[in-house]
Parts: sequence; C-alpha cells; structure tokens
Amino acid sequence: MTNEHDSVIEELKKHPSALISAYEAVADEVADALGPAPALRWAQQGVRIASQGPRAWEAATEYFKASPQVVQTIGFTQFERWAESGIELTAEAPVIAASFFRASPRVLPTLAPRHIAGWAGLGRGLSKGTWKSSSLAARFFDVSDELVQQVNFHELQLFVSLVQTLASRSYDLAAEALVLGQRVLPAVSEREELISLAKVLAETSWREVRGSFEAATRVGNSVDRRLRPRYFALSERLARQGLGNVSAFMVESAQSLGLLPQELQTMVLERAEDLADTSAEAVSAFLRTAPNVLDRISPAQLDTWFGRGLEFLKENPDAGIAYFRLESARAETLLDQLSSSIELEKVHGLLRMYSNALAGTEVELQESTDITHRNIGWVSVEFATTDGKSVFLPPTVDLRDTKSENFAWLKVVTTHQVGHLEFQSFDFDFHAPSASFNDYREGIAEGIGATPGTTEVASFFDLFPVRAMAADLFTATESARIDQRIVEQYRGLAPSYERVQSDALASRGPVEMMPAQQALMEMLVRQSLGQTNARIPSPYAAQAKQLAGLLRSVRNREATVEDSAEAALRMYYTLSQVPNAFVPLDDWEDVDLSKAGFDEPTLEEIVERLRAEAEEAQEEASGDEYESPDDVDYRGDFKPEMVQLLAQMRGQAEPGEEDGSESAQGISQAELEQALRESTEIDFADDAEVTTVAANMMKEMGADAPQNPAGSGYNQIPHVDEEGGPLEALEPRSYAYDEWDFRANDYRPRWCIVQERLAVSGETAFYNETMHSYAGLIEQIRRQFESVRPEMYRKVKRLPEGEDVDLDAGIEALIDLRNKMTPDERIYWRRNKDERDVAVVFLLDMSASTAEAVEESSRESDWNAPGDPVAYTAWLRARRGETARRPYKRIIDVEKESMVLLMNALETIGDRYGVYGFSGFGRENVEFYVIKEVEELFTDRVKRRMDKVAPLHATRMGPAIRHATSKLAGVDAKTKFMFVISDGRPQDRGYSREGVEKEYAVQDTRMALMEARNIDITPFCLTVDRNGHDYLRTMTGDLNYEVLPDIMELPRRLPQLYKKITL
Amino acid sequence: MANQTQLYQQHNIEEYFIDKEPFYLEVADEIDIFEAAYAQRVPILLKGPTGSGKTRFVEYMSWRLNQARKRDGRADQMSPLVTVACHEDLTASDLVGRYLLEPEGTRWIDGPLTRAVKYGGICYLDEVVEARKDTTVLIHPLSDHRRLLHIEKIGEVLESHPNFLLVISYNPGYQSALKDLKHSTRQRFIAIEFDFPPRDLEGPIIEHESGVDRTTAQQLALLGEKIRNLIGQGLQEGVSTRLLIYAGKLIEHGIAPRRACEVAVVWGLTDDHETQASVMEIVTSIFP
Repeated sequence: MTNEHDSVIEELKKHPSALISAYEAVADEVADALGPAPALRWAQQGVRIASQGPRAWEAATEYFKASPQVVQTIGFTQFERWAESGIELTAEAPVIAASFFRASPRVLPTLAPRHIAGWAGLGRGLSKGTWKSSSLAARFFDVSDELVQQVNFHELQLFVSLVQTLASRSYDLAAEALVLGQRVLPAVSEREELISLAKVLAETSWREVRGSFEAATRVGNSVDRRLRPRYFALSERLARQGLGNVSAFMVESAQSLGLLPQELQTMVLERAEDLADTSAEAVSAFLRTAPNVLDRISPAQLDTWFGRGLEFLKENPDAGIAYFRLESARAETLLDQLSSSIELEKVHGLLRMYSNALAGTEVELQESTDITHRNIGWVSVEFATTDGKSVFLPPTVDLRDTKSENFAWLKVVTTHQVGHLEFQSFDFDFHAPSASFNDYREGIAEGIGATPGTTEVASFFDLFPVRAMAADLFTATESARIDQRIVEQYRGLAPSYERVQSDALASRGPVEMMPAQQALMEMLVRQSLGQTNARIPSPYAAQAKQLAGLLRSVRNREATVEDSAEAALRMYYTLSQVPNAFVPLDDWEDVDLSKAGFDEPTLEEIVERLRAEAEEAQEEASGDEYESPDDVDYRGDFKPEMVQLLAQMRGQAEPGEEDGSESAQGISQAELEQALRESTEIDFADDAEVTTVAANMMKEMGADAPQNPAGSGYNQIPHVDEEGGPLEALEPRSYAYDEWDFRANDYRPRWCIVQERLAVSGETAFYNETMHSYAGLIEQIRRQFESVRPEMYRKVKRLPEGEDVDLDAGIEALIDLRNKMTPDERIYWRRNKDERDVAVVFLLDMSASTAEAVEESSRESDWNAPGDPVAYTAWLRARRGETARRPYKRIIDVEKESMVLLMNALETIGDRYGVYGFSGFGRENVEFYVIKEVEELFTDRVKRRMDKVAPLHATRMGPAIRHATSKLAGVDAKTKFMFVISDGRPQDRGYSREGVEKEYAVQDTRMALMEARNIDITPFCLTVDRNGHDYLRTMTGDLNYEVLPDIMELPRRLPQLYKKITL
Repeated sequence: MANQTQLYQQHNIEEYFIDKEPFYLEVADEIDIFEAAYAQRVPILLKGPTGSGKTRFVEYMSWRLNQARKRDGRADQMSPLVTVACHEDLTASDLVGRYLLEPEGTRWIDGPLTRAVKYGGICYLDEVVEARKDTTVLIHPLSDHRRLLHIEKIGEVLESHPNFLLVISYNPGYQSALKDLKHSTRQRFIAIEFDFPPRDLEGPIIEHESGVDRTTAQQLALLGEKIRNLIGQGLQEGVSTRLLIYAGKLIEHGIAPRRACEVAVVWGLTDDHETQASVMEIVTSIFP
C-alpha cells in the first residue's frame, strides 16, 4: 500500500514541481471522499496522464486540480471513465486534455454522466493533429460549460459538426463560430433548426452563417414560438435553393412577421411555404409586403390575391416577383378591387346587432354556406335567406365598385330578410283574418274538401292544384308587402333600397319571350320591384290589371301576411285561367298599372274554378307547363313553408312542455318526408334525397339549435335514472351536498359528493405568456382598477361634518372668525366608511365542451359525443389527445387568460379572491379543483396550477356552487361575490329527471345560487353560450348574468364586469 | 340694475309649486294608483330606467293633486314638491339640515326633507340608492306608520304634516350589487314600475316635448323601439325618451336628423364602437 503510494509520489516528482504540489493540495480531500484504495487508483491515473508525453504533466496538473469537485459531482465509476477520456485526450494533445479537465468542474454538474465520454469525444473530433486544430478543440472545452447548460447533447453534437464543417475551411472561422454559438444558442429555442440552416449556409459562405446566427435572435423576438421551427425550415429551404442573402432575408421577414398577430403569421408563413418551391425571391418579397397587404385586405381575401400572384409567378417569374413586391399594376388593381368588397365576417357583429334591433328578437347572422351545408333543403349559396331564427347572408359582396355601395347592398339584403321577421311573414295563420279582404281561405278549404296540412302555410298552398304557381304568387305578393313596409318605415334606407330594386329590374330578361301566364307572373314580380309601366300581352290586359290591382292592395301599412295570402289566392284564380301559350310579338302593349284596381271574385267562383282545374289536371294541361319566374337576387330564398316546419319542430324540442315527453318529436320522419315532397320550395333530385333532408332536419332540431359555433355546449347527455340513495362523504376532502329536485319540490339529501382536489401544477410559462401577450390590456385594466383604489382608503378632509375637526382647517376658521370674516365651514375630516372588504370566488367551467376551438370550431366531432358513460370517457380521452398539440386556442384557454388578467387586477386593489375549477361525471364524483384558495397568497404555485386547468368531463354546477358557497361562508368579509364562468348550460349524467332533462339541472343550479344569495353572497353568471339567455334568466332570477356574444371579448369584459359589479 | 328684467324666479323650497300642467301621458293606471296611495299616505317607489318619465310623473302628480285642492277650495293646503337628486356623497344631514357657521356663531338651517315634512310637501328622492347608507335611518321612520323625522343634531323629533308624502325612485338596471335597494327599505313602499312608453305613445310625447312634426316624432319613437331591442346585447340600457326628445329638439332647430341622432342618441348611449356603428346603421335606415 504505502509502497505503491510512495511510487506514485516518486513518479510525480519526475515532472515539474507544479504537478506534485497540485497533487498534494487536493490529495487529502480526494482520499476522504473516495477512500484509500480508489484514491490510490486516482493518483495512479494522474501518473498515467503525466506520462503520456512531453507536456502531459500540464494536463495531469489540471486533472488533480479538477478532481475534488468532480469527485463530488459524479460517482467513482463515472470518475474513472472521466479520467480515461482525459487520458485519451492527453494522448491526442495535452493542451486539449488540460482544457477538458479545467472545464470539467463547471460542465459536469449539468452534463448527464452518460454523455461524459461523448463530450470528450466531441472535442477530440475537432482535433486533427495540427496545432490549430488542437487549440480549436481546447477552445471548445473552454466554452462548453455555457453551452451544456442551455443546449442538450444532441444539439451540441450538431453544433460541433457545424464547427467541424467550418474548420475544414478555416480554423479561425470555426473558433469564431464557437464563441458565437456560445452566445447565441442559449438565446434561441429552435437550435436544431438553426444549426441545420447554418450547415447549409456553411457550404457557401461563412458570413451568412454568422448573419443567420445573429438574425436568429431577432426571429425569437418577433416570430411566434410555435411557428419558429417552420420558419427556420423555410429559411433552410431557401438557402438550399440558393437564395443569396439568407441572413438579410431573415432579418427583414422576421421584422415584418413581427407586425402580424399570431394567426396571421401562420397564414402568411403557410403561403410563403407554397411559394418556396417556385421562387425563393418571391418568398422574400411576399413576406416583406404581407403586413402592408393585410392592412388593406382581409385574410380571406389574401388567398385570392395570393393565388393570382402564384399564377403570374408560374407564367413569368419576373412578373410574379414584381407582383409580390407590389411593384406591379396588376397587384395594385386586384388589391383595390378586393379591398372594396365587403366580407360578411367583417361586418357580422354590426349587422347582427342591426338585425336584432330591427327584428326585436334574437337573430343569428350566418354565412349562407352554413345553411346549405346542413342539407336541410336550402341549396343556394349566393342567396340570402332565413330559417326563421337565423339570417343567412352571402359571405362576400363585390357587386359594386366601392366599399360603401357594397355595404349598402348588403344592408338592403339584410333588411329584407329581417323584414320577413319584423313584419311577420312566418307567423302566417291559416285561420287568422286579413286586414282588408273578405277571408276566403276557410271557405275554399271547405268547398274543395281540403284537409289541414303540416303547417299553416302548407294548408294554404294545399288549396291549389298548381302549388308552384300559388307559391310564386304568394312570394311576389309577400315580398312586395315587405318591401313596401321597409321603404315606408326606413326612409333613410329607401334610396339604397330603390337602387337595388331598379338594378334587379334591369337585370330581368325580355318578357315578350315568355308565354302569357309566365309573362303575367313576370309582370307581377316587376311590379313588386317598383315598375309601374308594364309590357303585357294585349289579349290579357284585363287580367293584367286585375293582378296588378291585387298586388297594389297589399302595399300599405295595414296589410298583414294574411292579406298577402288572400291577394295571392285571388291572383291565382285569375292567372290560372290564362293559358300558358305564346302571344305573337305584335300583340303586346304597354300599360300604366299605377292606378290599377281589382274586381272581387266570389267565393263560389273560386271554389268552382279550383275544382275544375283539379279535374283538368288529371287529363291534359293547356299550353306549356308553368315555370317559375327568375329569382330576385336581393330577396334571396323565401321559404315560408320550410320555416314554419322548422319552427314547429323546434317548438316540440323545447323543454318545459309537461306532456308527451316520450316522443319529443311530434312530427314523425314519415310525416316530414310527406310534407317535404309536397312542398315546392325544395327541388329534390330523387326520393332518397327527401329522406336525407328529412333525417337532417330531424337531427338538427333534436340537437337543439346546433347552428351555434363555439360555446354552444356539447351534445345532450341522455337522461339516466339515478338509482340509490344518499351518499356518504367518506374520503378526506370530500363533501356531501343535497340536490334540489324541482319536480318533487324538495331536496334529495346528500345526493352529490364533491371531491376537492388541488389542481395539478404546471409551469408558470402560461401565466407569463398571457401577461406578455396582453400587456396593453393589462396596463389599461390596472389603470382602471387603480383609479378606484385611492379614494377607498383616503381620509377625506374639508367636510362640513365628520369624525373630528381637521386641525388646520379649524385654525383657519378661527382666524377668520377673529377677523370678522365668514369662515369656511368645511372644517371636519372623515374616513371614508366604504372601506373595501370584498371576498370573491370564481368558478371556472372545466367541462369537456371548453375544449372547443375558438377560431374554427370542429362541429362534427362535437355532435358525435356518445351518451354511454364508458364510450363517452373514451371519446373524451381521444379528444383530449387530439388537442394535446393544438395550435389554436380553446374556450378554456380564453377563460384562463381572462382569469389571469383579472387576478392581476385584483392584486392591485387587494380584494380577497379564490379561484376554483369544477367538472365531474355523475353525482358521486363532482370534481372541484382548487387553483387558489381565498386566503392563499398569489404565488408561483397558483400560477403553475393555472397552467394545468384543462377541459375534463361534464358540468354539474349545483354542487360546485354549493361547495364554493360553503367556502365563502367561512370567510369574514362585508361583501361577498361568486362568479360562475361557463360555456353552456349545466348538464351531467343523471343530472336530470325523466322528461325535464334540461330543466332539472337549471333548477338545481338556480337553487344553489339562491342558497348563496341567502347568506348574502351575490352570484353572477357569465357565459359564452349564445343560447344562454334561455336558461340564465331562470337560473339567476333577474339581472345577474351576462351572455358574451364573442368569447374573445372575455379577457376585456371580465375585469370590466368585475369592476362594475363590485365597485 | 333696476330696469333689468329678472329672468329667473326664486322660491323657497317649501313655496315651490308647479303652476303649469306638466305634459304627461298615462301609460297604464299609474295616476289612479298614485292618487289612491297619496290619499292613504302610503309611500311610493318608482322603478324604471333612466329617462322613462319618473320625475315627470311626480311633477305631474304634484300639480294634479294641487289642482284638486284648488278646486275644492283648499288652496291654503297646497303641497310643495321637494325634489332631491341623490348622489354618492349625499348624507343624512344634507337631507335633514345642518348648522351654518356665521361670524356670530352658528345657525341651524333645515334641509329639504325637513322642510317637506314641516310644510306637507311631496319629497321626491330621485335615484335613492345612490345616497349614502345613513339616509335609510331617516327614510325608515318616515315611511311607516310613525311618520317621524328625527333630527339628532338639535335633539328634535318632527311629526309629519298630514300632507307629507315620501316618494323615491330607483333604477333596477344597475347591476352593481352595492347599489341595490335593501329589502327592509323596499318593503315600506308600494312600487309603480315604469318602462319606456310604447311606440304609439312615445311618438306624441316626443312631438309635444320637442316640437318636431309628427312624422319625425314617429321616426324617433321607432328609433327608440329598435334600439331598445338591443338591451342586453351590447346595450346596458335602452335609449331614454329624454334623449329622443333632445334629438327632436336639435332636429327642430335645423340640425340634420342623422347628425342630431348621432350626437343625441348614438354617442350618448354607448362608448363601444361596434355598438355605435350598429345603432348608427339603424339611424341611417330610418332617417334619410
């Protein structure tokens, strides 16, 4: 033992004395740490190192110096491997090994032990046996510590291989790259991509490598994190294609992308990728001009503009590049044209409010494609229409030259559709009296023995043998009535309206080419559009005047939809007697119809005629078969029969009807198909289509207003009868609550178990990112809240009365009195008694439906939520898996962001607040997640929990509210509030009673809120479900709720609301 | 100074009577209810959104009751109308009275409520929830069978004049929970609910108050109706009849209707740009 030790000393002494003193300085420490035998081995390794070559003792010195720290960091086996690596390096060149040993104490704590040899290998790989290469390798070890701390080993390998590539050209460059990498890499998150790009550039130009590294830091500041990998990949592609100045490209494009919000960045980048195959230069031009272009046109229009550019580019690269640089007239012209068109999306909010105001009911505005997609009988994409609840408008309008004219057109179209609602076209009642006609409808039905149809409108159309003609007459008359009412009531709109009408008139075909019956029909349509002089076939002048007179009779403000029907009925009588045959061209005349009147036919005449016609129809029709007139663009599709049918089905699907809960659909599929077949409002290709449409309609109406995008809540959970009785809260932190059964008018005792859990912790990144991305808004909110705070606590001075005399003011007053002057009487001060003592809890809905994307809602997947609990859970899991890497925002994300903003604001005014999430499945398991307790301080822990708030299961609101109430009850505060933020109605498995599925949950929630109110907690419900008005009014009693039409409003609105309600 | 005509009139609070008939159109049976309540001296709570005619109604009723007294030869029993607009800093002593400092000491001065109690007026506390909570101490004994006003500062208790009646108003549209009327207060009053008048009644009101022609008045009433359809969907409160009347007055003075509505209605109603734009579209649809 001692001999061996002595021999080691002997060996060491053969080298310069620095070595032995380094050894001696640390020997005891190492021996203590390792024990005698390994310590000897350690010393022998030192000797081995020193004996590797002429200057190897230097490496051995560093070895000894580094040892104590290294020993502490890694175990002895690893230690030996480390020493071995050092020995190999020493064999390569002692100077490298010295660097290696020197760097080790700083590097090893962060480097995984399994990578030690690899790390040494990286350095050795750089050495090519020359002096310069050794010094590069040594340099590598010198800078290793910072790299290793930030960069993973794989990335390090890539980087070293980049350095090697450079080294093959110049060692100086490679050394420079090392330093650059040490500085830049830790700051960039997409290192792999960057290095890969740099390697491509290294082939051509070092300058570009350096430039790209430097540009990379800017990319980090301006390009969205999720997009950066793609961005670097794109840059690399361009570099491969030989784009000369990649670093300049990066600087410029990053800068311009930085001007765009994240969604647009994605979009622009995608387009740029499409261009990359064709022309690198065009990519660069496009990225540079994109923000400018997007200033002028909308993202949707960008597609059109871009598409055209791509075509040019393929035809002629120079022209294409000029186009994308905006240096071409064609690009400008198209931009102008696009920017004058109106997109529904842009004016959606505006027109929705406008429509709501006019109609007096809640009207949804949607793109006409939305209704055609549903395949429930509407097929025309360009036409506006309504289904009685929503108005459907064309997605873009570019008929006119300027934006304002296009908007005026859209406004007219909207007003016309809303007009049908405002002036009650769809409230047609077969039996209701008209305002100015003798009512013939019932008499005719009796006379010809007609049976009532599925709907009121259908009953009316059923009277006529040629249903299409009756429908066209009714449409023309009713549209004329609506137009008349609109123009009369909305005089400001009248000029635009009349212009649209005259345009519609101008676009109609020549009437002389039509057979007589159709010509007269056409005359009616034109008259309804405001034409007073008509060209009519002379033989039927009398009939023409009769028809015109009838149409005129509904154009007054007293006329109702029943008047239109009565007029249409009389028109039918006249028109059906006109043979549909061509009239010679010289047998036409122009007549003035502005004063036309009509003769009243008798009921008997009409019945007689209809009967005769019905029989006639069995045999042979005279002349050509009747064809409907051309549509009038701005009036779109008018389908009263369909609307009434849908309304009827909707009515049945509504809750609250105590009877007939079994067959929620009063209209059976067969009846519906029958009604559809009879209707002339839909053209069916074949019978199978009828079945499809009917099935779709049934599904639609059953699924309760599915035309809602985000926030509509997911599919109804089918009713499950709950079995079993009260539950016991056995587990720790679980609580039993009663549930209100409004049918029984009593509580179900201990019906639900609330499981309280601490929310899972995540990262603080979510919090920080939110704070970052809403920086502007936060500043604004903070200012608002701060403006409230000071006066809350301030001592108010100079009051006419108060707690005590304000000494200064009192003395002044006394002086004034002595001077015989009227003193200021405001000599008191008072502490403001409204000292703020507020406690508030927030309940966040964490139900599965909050997983819905905010921008593009994936509706189909949503409707297919299975009802069976097992399948449902599986479905949820799959769904959550899907959304694990989501590039879009979900409802819950917006909820969370808003919460973060508000929490931040609350911190400034010092209100106490708790934040909880709730979800669950079934009454045994109502999950209640604590994100922040009321008395808990706002720490990083809270921020971390916030991060992991995610969509879970269903929404059983009642018990969650009760639990939150009990939490608040324990808090001592003067004023208490509870905010419930949800995205839909409460629902859960078994949260229902047979027949009153929706109502039960709503009533229980209402009760829970009342309980809160009873102990002086003011509840407030905020929802993003547009159907929220229906149940929230019941749930909250009166005014304590708000429905947000757009979830994106939430971050702004929540703090506002809070301030308004509690301050 | 002497030959300058005085353009204003000065009254003591207790001597202020309404001489000219205020214009008021009855919407339902509120006049009968008020008269019955007054006859029995039951305090009255007027509920309703701002500008729906609560104050005008009180003025009208005060006038009407005094007319009845005149007719019955009880002109000496005329009841003044004392209106107090309540605000956040309105304290009990603002209503009851206070000592004024004077060079020679202090002098007590009665507040408006005290005067109404003494002289048998109708005391109308407008927007009562805005006042400080200490005012309820005064309101409670005055609004039940006691009909007493305690004046702590001078150690007096006032029994009300037989003609005295307390009327308060309150706008339930404010969502702030801190501005809600307490139940103990609320349940001392009978409540008359006000809402904006229906279009065919609002038209004549606008016509009368602003002096515009009938068509314009009807258009303004239509505008009011349409805007009120937006309550809860961007608007917290509907446009008040008052604002519509202002718009009418501007139109009458020669301002173009669209512009008049913009300044009187649209901008006054909301600060939200999209809502403003939507309301403006309604305006441009109605007015040429």
